[in-house]
Amino acid sequence: MATRSRPLSPHLTVYRWALSMVMSIVHRVTGIALYVGTLFLLIFVGAAAIGDEALASVSWLYGSWFGQLVLFGYTWALFHHMLGGLRYFVWDTGHGFERHVRTWMVRGNLIGSIVLTLAAWAIFVWF
Amino acid sequence: MDNSGIADPHAHHGSGKSATRHFITQRLTGAANIAFTGFFVWLVVRLAGAERAEMVGVLANPIVAFFLALLIVNVAIHMRIGMIEVIDDYVHEPRTRRLSLMLNTFFAGMVAALTVLFLVKLVFWG
Repeated sequence: MATRSRPLSPHLTVYRWALSMVMSIVHRVTGIALYVGTLFLLIFVGAAAIGDEALASVSWLYGSWFGQLVLFGYTWALFHHMLGGLRYFVWDTGHGFERHVRTWMVRGNLIGSIVLTLAAWAIFVWF
Repeated sequence: MDNSGIADPHAHHGSGKSATRHFITQRLTGAANIAFTGFFVWLVVRLAGAERAEMVGVLANPIVAFFLALLIVNVAIHMRIGMIEVIDDYVHEPRTRRLSLMLNTFFAGMVAALTVLFLVKLVFWG
């Protein structure tokens, strides 16, 4: 019997952009960012294990404007990916696919991640 | 697309051996990650900008170190599977794909192993 190539995801450009689609991509992008970002934790714990000078350098870097900006972005990526994961848990059960429900879910995902990030930084860092 | 004939059995788009296990593991580790969130936020806030002595004081606590080790292993499993999915979607050239999968496993394993190694050092040697 003749073989054909396996089916691939249809190319993205054939679709009109929708928020649910953008959020699916953002879920993936935040996942990749979090993947790389595990190095921040490794470097932090490693510096503490190695010694005073190493920890002082890392704390300085993480406390600098650039470090704070990256960590703020990381916080958002974490909350966004977490809420996105909850969204997929709901969809895994076969519920929440109606148009207004899924629109509400992806909006809630975006708004929720921004609110949680601002709340976490406001409570623990800014005030 | 021509849909006659059978799908090429030699094509690799996700593993026939591990895809179901990955699906389940990804959800279990994802749920565990959510359970860890509170602990992680507490730890980061507690340690941010701390002097080394204070940081060692917190991380050398066996319970804290144990849960942080558990967290990073859980995260490593979750992110390895997530990246496998990304590689399956975008990297199709067989050799590049194999290399990507290998580097992915190496990176995830290294992050977890080194973090646990540093934690062991902190718990036993301060």
